[in-house]
Amino acid sequence: MATTTATITLASTDIADNALSISNTMTLTTAGTTTGITETTGLARVKMASTTLTDLITVANINGFQAAHSAKVYIKNTGTATDKYATIGLAGTAVTIGRLYGGDWMLFPWDGNENEDVTIDMSDATETIIEYMVFFE
Amino acid sequence: MATTTATLTLASADLLSDNLSLSATQTLNKAGTTTGLDSIQYEKLEVPTGTTYDLTNQLGATALGQNKANKVYVANKHTDPTRYIDIYVAAVNIGRLYAGDWMFIPLEAATAAQDVGVNAVDVSQVIEFALIHEGRTLIAS
Repeated sequence: MATTTATITLASTDIADNALSISNTMTLTTAGTTTGITETTGLARVKMASTTLTDLITVANINGFQAAHSAKVYIKNTGTATDKYATIGLAGTAVTIGRLYGGDWMLFPWDGNENEDVTIDMSDATETIIEYMVFFE
Repeated sequence: MATTTATLTLASADLLSDNLSLSATQTLNKAGTTTGLDSIQYEKLEVPTGTTYDLTNQLGATALGQNKANKVYVANKHTDPTRYIDIYVAAVNIGRLYAGDWMFIPLEAATAAQDVGVNAVDVSQVIEFALIHEGRTLIAS
């Protein structure tokens, strides 16, 4: 088993009268256990230059992926333009999650059931590099 | 305007044949701008079993909340590693948040139905939840 941790720190000194400071670390484990996840796609970088809705991560292309377990997906829009974004969703047009503007990242649990591919739709055709990584069992 | 940052650190010494050390920091801005998000809802609550509960209260029901760069943080504070809550977006189950797990996503909230929901499986579970957003239309009492 491997030990992989993901830590988030949310911080602000002025969003409220009192400072906001949220910090949380999780260990990525297999479903329902304390055993560390041992498989990953590795960190991938892709150039996106089209406004066509497309699959960013295809379930069927991840060898050995077990659906409805404890997979996690990390995605980052490495662009610097804060007025351009990548819309991330699931299963074609079934679910729109949200927009990753330049510099934004997200980390979410993913069931990855059949056809629940992770989709991306760029706000314009400016070439933008998207990074992603899947942790799975 | 406020300045709020979200920093992620992914680390492992033994997942790969070399160290994994990834760090990413974003400043939480309003949609399409460099102006910081300035509204927040932060709470701890117990999610009962039996149904899916809406966390984001139809943020996208009005123009004030629609199509924005809202951010959602959810952490499952339960301690039994066999327990999990199902996470829903727009009424579709996207994944399981096991005890100790957290997630951080953007929420477009294009419509009232594009909410984040939680469903505690088998036992009630305590979560922490934060919604950092541009604003919402308050409901008259």
